Amino acid sequence: MSVVAFAHKRTTGFWDEVELNTIVTALSVAGSGREWETGMTENGDPQFYLLGPLPDQACELSVSRIGGRYILEDGSGRLLFEHQSLAIVALHAKAAAARSVPWWFVAHVVLLWCTVRQIVHEKVEPWLAESEELLVELAPQLVTFA
Amino acid sequence: MDLAMRLGLKYYTFISQVENGFSRVPTEAMAAWATELGLEPAAFAKHLLLYYEPELHRLLFGRKV
Repeated sequence: MSVVAFAHKRTTGFWDEVELNTIVTALSVAGSGREWETGMTENGDPQFYLLGPLPDQACELSVSRIGGRYILEDGSGRLLFEHQSLAIVALHAKAAAARSVPWWFVAHVVLLWCTVRQIVHEKVEPWLAESEELLVELAPQLVTFA
Repeated sequence: MDLAMRLGLKYYTFISQVENGFSRVPTEAMAAWATELGLEPAAFAKHLLLYYEPELHRLLFGRKV
């Protein structure tokens, strides 16, 4: 008879490779280019921090493991989710990271949109109006040739 | 952990976030933190501002650290 051992679930100590991979994989999809850090609490429980953009790089989300339970919090300490399964917590973290689109990104999109509109207004619209005028002038002559 | 309990937090993990320098004490919670730490809220907020916004602290209080 063969006995299959259950995977050992960590309850203490620093993140192991599987745990870190689970979190990083889930979060890198939601916010590519974002950096992360790890740390320990005063009681030796591991923490994972998803950081915001430079220069502040404030923590946007954190995942901690306390006594085999995974805790998901935002950068203001609001408890977002907790569960014994890291995979489930990572899914919630991914969703939370996707929801918290950074303000600088929104600002860039708005600025880009305004710039494009301004260019269209200043350059393209007069050109179109000119072309239309030209067409109106030339159309009767073209009809005569046809 | 004790501070977390006194602040009514379910877990002490946010305290560690702040202690490790990855999060700031939320402005709306500064008074509560100060009270639980036995500090005067204005002095506590002023001290935090020195670290969080050093330039603003310098403009307001005129000292650079």
